[in-house]
Amino acid sequence: MSGAVLDATQTAPSAKDDSQDPAYLRIRDLVYRTCGIYHADEKLYLLVAACKRRMASKQVKLDSGREYLELLTGPVFKETETRELLNEITIGETCLFRSRPQLNALHNVILPELVAERSKTGSRELKLWSAGCSTGEEPYTLAMFLLEEKEALLQGWEFAIAATDLNDHSIETARAGIYGDYALRNTPENYKRKYFSPAEGGKLQVNNEVKAKIRFSRLNLNDESRVLFMKNMDLIFCCNVLIYFDLVSKRRVVQHFFSKLMPNGCLFLGHAESLYQVNDQFRLVHLPGTTVYRKVVAAPGKDGGA
Amino acid sequence: MSNALRDGLRKKVERLRTLPSSPAVLQPLLELLRLAPDSIDLRKVVELVSYDKTIAAQCLRIANSPLYGRARATESIKAAVLSLGIQRVEDILLTCCLHKFSSGAKWAGDPLVFWRHSLGCAAVCRELALRIEFREPEKAYLAGLLHDLGVLVNSLAYPDEYSKVIAEAQAKGVPLVEQEMKDLGFTHCESGSILGASWKLPKSINEAIAFHHNVEKAPPDNPLVALVHIGDLLCRLAGLGYGYEEWRSVELAADPAWEELAKHCPRLKKMDLARFTMDLEAIVPGVQALVEAVFTSKPEHSAVETLC
Repeated sequence: MSGAVLDATQTAPSAKDDSQDPAYLRIRDLVYRTCGIYHADEKLYLLVAACKRRMASKQVKLDSGREYLELLTGPVFKETETRELLNEITIGETCLFRSRPQLNALHNVILPELVAERSKTGSRELKLWSAGCSTGEEPYTLAMFLLEEKEALLQGWEFAIAATDLNDHSIETARAGIYGDYALRNTPENYKRKYFSPAEGGKLQVNNEVKAKIRFSRLNLNDESRVLFMKNMDLIFCCNVLIYFDLVSKRRVVQHFFSKLMPNGCLFLGHAESLYQVNDQFRLVHLPGTTVYRKVVAAPGKDGGA
Repeated sequence: MSNALRDGLRKKVERLRTLPSSPAVLQPLLELLRLAPDSIDLRKVVELVSYDKTIAAQCLRIANSPLYGRARATESIKAAVLSLGIQRVEDILLTCCLHKFSSGAKWAGDPLVFWRHSLGCAAVCRELALRIEFREPEKAYLAGLLHDLGVLVNSLAYPDEYSKVIAEAQAKGVPLVEQEMKDLGFTHCESGSILGASWKLPKSINEAIAFHHNVEKAPPDNPLVALVHIGDLLCRLAGLGYGYEEWRSVELAADPAWEELAKHCPRLKKMDLARFTMDLEAIVPGVQALVEAVFTSKPEHSAVETLC
């Protein structure tokens, strides 16, 4: 569920007025309790718009917020409809090879450091987690990037990527791995030739070699019992996902990330994101053009020098 | 650094002084800068700018550059000073002083890279100073601007050897200071502080020049050294470095300079460093535009000769 929340242009004209409807305030609380995503007053219109799109859909066909709230809380459709609403809220927009500075930092610094460190323990495997993977752009980018590294630094190494998102439609789209020009606008030509095959409508589909490296699943980052299954991660990517959470949920999710990482593992956030006042266990590490958060357990890093 | 080496370097720097000499307006300008911003006399600034034809021409050109989005051309120095504001004029003056000092010399490396780094570091140091409530943000700017003065000295004094040092550091992607130590036996910190002392720069600034790569050895109670050290690192990580990426990770909070600066400016530990780092990206285009405006035209040698 990376990328922007919903585009304001998708908002129905009347959505703003409905922000006063107490039913939507209760739906807001419900969404927050379920997944930790909180729509502050100035963002409430986005939630109202998402509800309205669901209400107008063939399966629902309801007119008032009150009726929709009943559907969301009633015994029959409670679970399925809540899931559909969450899908509607978390539609993202992103592309492959979105953050060059992150990939450059991985290639030039983070991976060499990790490989040196893990080699000491005899390990030849890296585990990555793309948390909030949306429609698959991020995990596929990482998989292709690491397949390239396997011909150099990662020779003889294995890697596995867990890719999770709250939105099941996104996960379905991600599994298919079919992308158009817009999503592929940053993808280098040699990657397109090597890791994709032509699909319908001039689109490209990710090859099985890449898909085999990724396990997609639906995961609510707020659901502690499920998050338990993610462990011993070397690198976690959670880009433009935390922006949806309020401070309390952010703290909890980031604390999970910390506990799921191996020593000296790294957490990558989106470009404008910071763990300021969210977590003080992670250490902020600067690299050319980007920053990452490292789980430092050994002695503190050396002087920045120079 | 051995005594013999230091003596040799000192002689080289002395000889440099007889070449393009310390710009005449530098001393009065530094004195002006020590005053509180609201007590600076505008006429004095205009007078200083007018004193040096090269600098006056530069100020006019910058005042009229698209960077400041001026609708009408400014023709008088006074109008230029008024439209730029005293703060900006001082920045430009200092930059022009340095430019004048370096003009006409054979350069080791790309001069634009040096200027982008110096002006970038100046801007980053001032931003950081403001963010952490460091008492003298203008001094932070000046220290940032001058911190690599020694690179200029080395370029002028040892053009051939220094070209090789720069090329080697670039090829290996290592910090310049490491390669200098290996190939020359001294660094731009030493050569810069020798020139800084002969220019009679304020002590705190000259210490920043001398110790910004070696904060732990710096004299106590000068937070400017640690501030410039951190500003320099942030500047290089933001892409305004030596013209190549130094591929390494830096944990600023584990750097001794961090603790040192925090002792003087407790707000440092309370700031959102990730956010600040991202905000610095906004500085980069402004610095690049200023460098293009000042340095991409040929220096006026005749004016330099008559005034020095």
